[in-house]
Amino acid sequence: MGNSRLTALLAALALCAIALFAAGCGDDDDDGAGGGDGGGGQTLTVGSDVPYPPFEQFGESKTEFTGFDVELVEAVAEKLGREAKFVDTSFDTIFRDLAQGKFDMVASATTITPEREKTVDFSDPYYLAEQAILVKEGSDVKSAEDLADMTVGVQQGTTGQEYVEEETEAGEVRPYPEGPDMVTPLRGGTIDAAVLDIPVAEKLAESQPGIEVSAEIKTGEEYGLVVQQGEEDLLDEVNEALQEIKDDGTLNDLYEKWLEVEAPQELLSATHEAS
Amino acid sequence: MDVILEQYFDLSLMAEHFDDVLAGFWITIKLSVVAGVLALFWGLVLALLRQLPGKPLMPVRFLTIAYIDVFRGIPLLMIILLVSGSLPFLPIPESIAIPRWFGQPDTFWYGVIALTITYGAYMAEVYRSGIEGVPGGQMEAARSLGMNHRQAMRNVIVPQAVRRVIPPLLNDYIALMKDTTLVSVIALNEAALVGRDVQSSLFNSSALTLGAIMFLVVTLPLARFVDRQIAREHRRFSRGAPRVETG
Amino acid sequence: MDESGHGGPLLRLKGVHKRFGDLEVLRGIDLDVKGGEVICVIGASGSGKSTLLRCINLLEPPDEGDIYLEGRSICKGADARSGEAGWELDYVRQRVGIVFQQFNLFPHRTALQNVTMAPQRVLGRGREEARSRAVELLERVGLGDKFDQYPERLSGGQQQRVAIARALAMDPHVMLFDEVTSALDPELVKEVLDVIRELADEGMTMVIVTHEMNFARDLADQIVFLEEGVILEQGPPAAVLDNPREERTKRFLGLVLEH
Repeated sequence: MGNSRLTALLAALALCAIALFAAGCGDDDDDGAGGGDGGGGQTLTVGSDVPYPPFEQFGESKTEFTGFDVELVEAVAEKLGREAKFVDTSFDTIFRDLAQGKFDMVASATTITPEREKTVDFSDPYYLAEQAILVKEGSDVKSAEDLADMTVGVQQGTTGQEYVEEETEAGEVRPYPEGPDMVTPLRGGTIDAAVLDIPVAEKLAESQPGIEVSAEIKTGEEYGLVVQQGEEDLLDEVNEALQEIKDDGTLNDLYEKWLEVEAPQELLSATHEAS
Repeated sequence: MDVILEQYFDLSLMAEHFDDVLAGFWITIKLSVVAGVLALFWGLVLALLRQLPGKPLMPVRFLTIAYIDVFRGIPLLMIILLVSGSLPFLPIPESIAIPRWFGQPDTFWYGVIALTITYGAYMAEVYRSGIEGVPGGQMEAARSLGMNHRQAMRNVIVPQAVRRVIPPLLNDYIALMKDTTLVSVIALNEAALVGRDVQSSLFNSSALTLGAIMFLVVTLPLARFVDRQIAREHRRFSRGAPRVETG
Repeated sequence: MDESGHGGPLLRLKGVHKRFGDLEVLRGIDLDVKGGEVICVIGASGSGKSTLLRCINLLEPPDEGDIYLEGRSICKGADARSGEAGWELDYVRQRVGIVFQQFNLFPHRTALQNVTMAPQRVLGRGREEARSRAVELLERVGLGDKFDQYPERLSGGQQQRVAIARALAMDPHVMLFDEVTSALDPELVKEVLDVIRELADEGMTMVIVTHEMNFARDLADQIVFLEEGVILEQGPPAAVLDNPREERTKRFLGLVLEH
């Protein structure tokens, strides 16, 4: 190989390395176009961990998203006069990325917790979350107490995980990257039960053979949209938009479309004080 | 820069979660040792099967080469997922399909199985180069003295071959140890998973950094040890014509 | 057919051919070796001398022809014993010892262990028995004080003597020597030749490939001159070395003896 060809090859390799490095700078699965310039302009970039049906899931293709959260955010954005652009991000780094300004907002079935409020700000609640216990068909696990000494699957970084770890006597807690990852272990018998948000659990039970929802756990949790701490103006705008969506019936429509129930009355007037 | 220090080097957070990360790392160690030892044996078995002489044993050689090619060709992550996903559904007794031996969960043993069958293939090739590197005259001398193939391998060739390839085998072992982090994908609470767990609930990656440091505590001395072994081998056994000293 | 007193030569080669790919190295060798005889094989590089020895101990099985050891054929196919694969190998290797130009000692074992390994593993001798025999042999080759040494600590001449002791430990009936002094520094050659000489005096049957003409003249009962895969000339040393008949023999000897 002549000298110039060798140089060209090395240059190409170096370019590839740089490109890979730049692209991989976060360890998130950046499938959408990364916005990164939070706060300004028409686009509202939103981080979300896809899939987590029925809140966020893939549409016709891997670059289109749809679901409860997605349509809710699109409605909010419209009220703000902006266009929503979603970025698929792994849940366990999503808050860090928000703090670093990778997106303006996070909409990812996120429960409002005091822990999280230390580092981010939440909007008013838009969903009342309850957990469900998902089991293999015919299982004896029928309540939170039954989880004692069992091997329980949860999704990493969620409040479902927190609940199981702190409020039950589960034997072993296994954090999985995605909800759907727990289906095969449930059916295979390597985990005894899985704890997930009710709609997600129900969707999985519906679409996957051999598993069923055996119980619900009322945890009193609420979902909120998440913004960077200190973004007061954005937060106010979002809350205003949310209230409008609740008042004009859009939220109820979303509830019926994606969750097949009516929106609870208490939710429609619930507000949340940023702390 | 401050963000980096805060996100990755928060010392108080590291102190707070030290026990958890250490517990995860302890599982890493157990997994590496069990899988590593098994892979070292399995690799040697494969290497020996691969070079059994004679026409009637050709199917054995063929199957062994096929095995080695397949398991060097499929990424370990996929093997872990395939093993853990399929074993519970196979028509075998549950104590094997969902192993819970010696107090370790099934995810641990799926990890052991995946690591062993994959790294065994890599190590088999290392052993092979060791065996082929033993001078041909050794086998001739052994056979001429009346030893059959098995005796010659066991007493003359394999001891020399193994001694030669200790450095690359150790390097493969270090690689295996790092690859145990892949088993986190089936929710085994080893060091990487613990780090990510902390990261996702506290939005700080310092526990991961702590885990990485624990890895270095083990892998750095191992790497220096390998270097010393290589230097020693160069001084010791000569190749080709014997060294002739006066005396 | 039994091993002793069968009346014929101890070792007989008939019409032996050996090919390596396209190259025919041995092109019809006929040779008889009587019990107690010392045959020295001489010839140019590439003439087939090493190959000849390696055929005798079946490291290279002949392609054509036959070899008879103590009256029994050791080449497969020449004898219709298809069911006993491998018996020839054991039979041969336990009766024929070979010493190589490159010594081929086992570097990971001491001198003593080199000598005891085969008798223990192959002949099943006990540790004590193998050990005492090994000590005896090592003393016989002049290395009684070196048996705990590893080969890397021994000189070339010492290593070769260990190799001889190792081969003798199997109680061979025939010893083959493949240019055993060619890799040695000149001052170490004598000690090895002395050991071989002693063996000959004790009546060991030997086939020796060598360049050491004076040694060959002293020791050999027969000199065999090998050229391009055939035996060109054969006879007692006085005949072949001093009064060669063939032109090429004369030329070869002229080349060798003049240095």
